[in-house]
Amino acid sequence: MANDQSSPHSETRRQLQMARSMCWHCQSEMSGEYFCERCVKVQPVSKDADYFTCLGVPRRLTLDPKKLEAKFYELSRAFHPDFYQTKSPTEQTISLSNAAVLNTAYRTLRDPIQRAEYLLALEAGSVKDIRTSPPADLFEEILELQETLEEYRASDRDSEQGHRLRATLQTEQQTLEGRREDMESQLRQLFTDWDQLQDREEATSQARAERDRVLKHMRDLLSNRTYINNIVSDLAATIA
Amino acid sequence: MAYSDKVVDHFSNPRNIGSFKKDDADVGTGMVGAPECGDVMKLQIKVQNDTIVDAKFKTFGCGSAIASSSLATEWLKGKTIEEAQKIKNTDIVQELNLPPVKIHCSVLAEDAIKAALTDYQKKADTQSIDTK
Repeated sequence: MANDQSSPHSETRRQLQMARSMCWHCQSEMSGEYFCERCVKVQPVSKDADYFTCLGVPRRLTLDPKKLEAKFYELSRAFHPDFYQTKSPTEQTISLSNAAVLNTAYRTLRDPIQRAEYLLALEAGSVKDIRTSPPADLFEEILELQETLEEYRASDRDSEQGHRLRATLQTEQQTLEGRREDMESQLRQLFTDWDQLQDREEATSQARAERDRVLKHMRDLLSNRTYINNIVSDLAATIA
Repeated sequence: MAYSDKVVDHFSNPRNIGSFKKDDADVGTGMVGAPECGDVMKLQIKVQNDTIVDAKFKTFGCGSAIASSSLATEWLKGKTIEEAQKIKNTDIVQELNLPPVKIHCSVLAEDAIKAALTDYQKKADTQSIDTK
């Protein structure tokens, strides 16, 4: 994250920080709640808050979907425009934009893969060179498969060649789908590993190295899964 | 959103599709992918006396990715290694009139060029060490 630089503007910076943790209405101190304890006015989501914080869930990869959903519903009710019809324009605007942020947050965190992509983006700054070398073998495979696809598209589907190509592509699709499943189960294991590491809160260099390893492995698997996803949907659409 | 005429042209008549033997000493191969969209690009150059005499590509991806790599191979031919280094993704964006959402395709093409040049250079360096 950004370095803590001491500049002549540090006074303004401090004021900004203070402003962020203050109720916009009654100026009483706040610590990230959605409603001011004193004047009960709705507060805007902090621009710095990540989606986990927005929804009030821990920054973990194995979230209970039921609990996540319950949180989302609870907050959606809290910001529902119907409850703000008689409130001031400021409160109406805040509730509306909060509802929008929450929707995006929930949509992102609901899906385990998207959740992991999001977490990686959050953590990327702390891991050097998280993007590893491209999987050349997988790329070769995809490009070759694409050629077979082109061949099939150009062929007469009812000809013997068409049937043969179709059979080849079907087998390829099944193999790739199997590999995708395998990647997903590896990912699920990594999600658990990651959460356990976070729960232990160790700051040793060994723990840090392990964290980086898990993040990198996740990055690789997620990327490779996207490549495979693309070719699989192309295959499925062509031979369907 | 419609593709520009130039993208459509390169997409429907891609130039220089194909590949060289990647183990040949005068061939440089760049293999890159965009994990965000799943596009894969392979770009190869054939070099003689520091000049790119031929270039080929294979791309699995959207129209803009194909057009970007097709255009890149066109531009590479006849350029020296040094001139090729200077090709920027913004040049591709301009030539093909790529919309902002497709800029990453041109970035991928630039990465592929860079990777191919690096691969060739690495081969050339080991060779000159071997002959010393």
